[in-house]
Amino acid sequence: MSMSKSADAPHKVEKETGIVIPGDDLGEIKDKLAGHGVLEINGRFTAVKKGIHRVKERVVSVEPIYSKYTPRPSDLVIGYIEGCTNNIWFVDIGAPFNAILPMSLGPSKAEFGGARSVIDIGEAILCRVQEVEETHSSVVSMKGMGLRKINSGIVEQLPPHLIGRIIGKGGKFLSDLKSNSECRIVVADNGRIWIDGDLPGISNVRKIILELENKDFGGGN
Amino acid sequence: MGGYGDVQMIDENGKRMDGRGPADLREISIETGVVPVADGSCRMIWGTNEAIVSVYGPMEAHPRKIQRQDSAVLAVEYNMAPFSTTDRMRPGFNRRSKEISKVTKDALESVVLLELYPRSKIQVNIEIISAEAGTRCVGLTAASVALADAGIPMTDLVVSVASGKINDIVVCDLNKEEDNYGEADLPMGILPNTGELVFLQMDGNLSQEEFKQAWDYNMNAASEVHSIMKKALTGGDSQ
Amino acid sequence: MSVPLVPKLLRAHLTELAENNRRLDERGQWDSRNLEIEHSVLPRAEGSAKVRIGDTIVYAGVKFQIMTPYEDRPNQGGLMCSAEVRPLAGRKYEPGPPSAESIELGRVVDRGIRESGCIDVDSLCIIPGEKAWQVILDLFAISDDGNLFDAFAIAGIVALKEATIPAERFEVGKDSKLEVTGTPIMCSYHKVGGRFVYDASFREELGGDERIHITLGDNGNVHSLQKGLKGIFTADEFEEIMGHALERTKQISKIINSL
Repeated sequence: MSMSKSADAPHKVEKETGIVIPGDDLGEIKDKLAGHGVLEINGRFTAVKKGIHRVKERVVSVEPIYSKYTPRPSDLVIGYIEGCTNNIWFVDIGAPFNAILPMSLGPSKAEFGGARSVIDIGEAILCRVQEVEETHSSVVSMKGMGLRKINSGIVEQLPPHLIGRIIGKGGKFLSDLKSNSECRIVVADNGRIWIDGDLPGISNVRKIILELENKDFGGGN
Repeated sequence: MGGYGDVQMIDENGKRMDGRGPADLREISIETGVVPVADGSCRMIWGTNEAIVSVYGPMEAHPRKIQRQDSAVLAVEYNMAPFSTTDRMRPGFNRRSKEISKVTKDALESVVLLELYPRSKIQVNIEIISAEAGTRCVGLTAASVALADAGIPMTDLVVSVASGKINDIVVCDLNKEEDNYGEADLPMGILPNTGELVFLQMDGNLSQEEFKQAWDYNMNAASEVHSIMKKALTGGDSQ
Repeated sequence: MSVPLVPKLLRAHLTELAENNRRLDERGQWDSRNLEIEHSVLPRAEGSAKVRIGDTIVYAGVKFQIMTPYEDRPNQGGLMCSAEVRPLAGRKYEPGPPSAESIELGRVVDRGIRESGCIDVDSLCIIPGEKAWQVILDLFAISDDGNLFDAFAIAGIVALKEATIPAERFEVGKDSKLEVTGTPIMCSYHKVGGRFVYDASFREELGGDERIHITLGDNGNVHSLQKGLKGIFTADEFEEIMGHALERTKQISKIINSL
């Protein structure tokens, strides 16, 4: 009995927009390498994410339109303390799971069992990703220049794929934003942004962040 | 299923009660980003079916006991809203919904790259807002669009469509009357890129020949539906 | 329901904003977000509405069933309101039986509509002692970005107002419009940063304290009240929000009755 085996030829890239979706064929492998968002299947590259198809040097990749933050070592991140035990804090860094901040990498020494008096649950911290395990859980550290508990201002959120936009070419957009608003602004790699200054300044920056999100082409949500 | 052979649903010229030919699909439209607070979402209207799907994740899997060390957990729930059917659907536990949730999860797990997010959870919520036969197909199709919208990596989208038999004639994409009074129902979940399958159910009575015909109808419909899904995801207009 | 973490920074910032008469999204203390109302949106319901307030989106559907009247009230039908906030609408909603919060939500909206008497259960009789109509209002959340209460309440009354009794489908007569007299409207206030604001967004709810819901009828008659969550308020504060509710319910009632 012969029945249809394939619905259609493998689907090509949407030429006009350059946006590909999961399952789209991205050509023969030949001498190229699979980058982010691309899998090698049966000798050909297949997109596995919705995003912009890019070929840079020998790397074929898909830059996702919308993605969650996945931590990498040395990333600067803003985290919220979700819980703690005697000598570690559990930190929500907006990744698929919480990071761990061991007491030894914390801001200062505390007695065993005294974690909450140093940083309490619900507080925000500026820290760096120290290492990422193969199961994707990470360890963060507050030992380093500028790393600290955040005690003033507010933290806003942008989807990580828009970070480049708020920084701008050569950092121009961000430095203009800082001087116009007279605020201290720290853009972390996990899409969180710490803004500190007077209320009108903070409100201005917040408005700009919202505009960036709304202008996001074909974004998730 | 029970065939009521004396309800005439298709005439000598192959015209069905709603004017469609045997191989024709109902009208489909797709929108993404319809649940602003979710990571990804999709609203799919198929005939007078309406499904809204939202996706959250990957996120930490709670409770701890559902975590898997080597891959993400795909938590899929299919549910029908109380006002989705002519006779009100009582909210709460429903065996049919539980089964559909499970087979939909089985289908989606076959394409989502779960091993990239060990110990985490991806939540897929399928809500049927209005029902008109084929809700499990609409739900599965819309869920794959919502997952893509959320940036979850998948090897392909899933197109799900059901064909069946009415008055001894095999037709594609059953509507409500055809599903109620017809003689068979064959829903499938197809990967449009390769023609492979991730979802298959059947009930009724089909000869080997009729089965082949219904199978082919579903396969051929897949590329039509896929192009609508692609337009919705890439920002082109969805018809 | 999983309780989301409340960031301390958010609470401190909301307090500073409140002290300076500001809100996160630059709204005034008593300003609402953008309100959109659609009706006749559900093909299988006998009456329906979709309401969007900011990024909060809900559906309301009216369905009718035949019930046997209670022995002590042989000429009366019934009204039942049920609210569902499922995981679809937000990351904090978990699968499983409805949370206490969702149940409170449904019951508070129910009381507002029921106690206004806008549905006369005496008019729902079909055959005295034998058959009467049960009106079921189902409220369904699509996206929770704060203030589900008001969104549900508005959607509920709009759906009821356009509902048709499906007598023909049940073979008990001819279809007719459901009689709804009056337009009860709910206004919800949340204490954020130390003062009450109208139409709180998700983040304001997250960093805020107690909430108060007021349902008023056409003449400003009070039909239901509810205070929820932890917190203390004064008589003066209540007087202030009642004053706002008197104005705002009139505005919304006008919008609904001109749909």
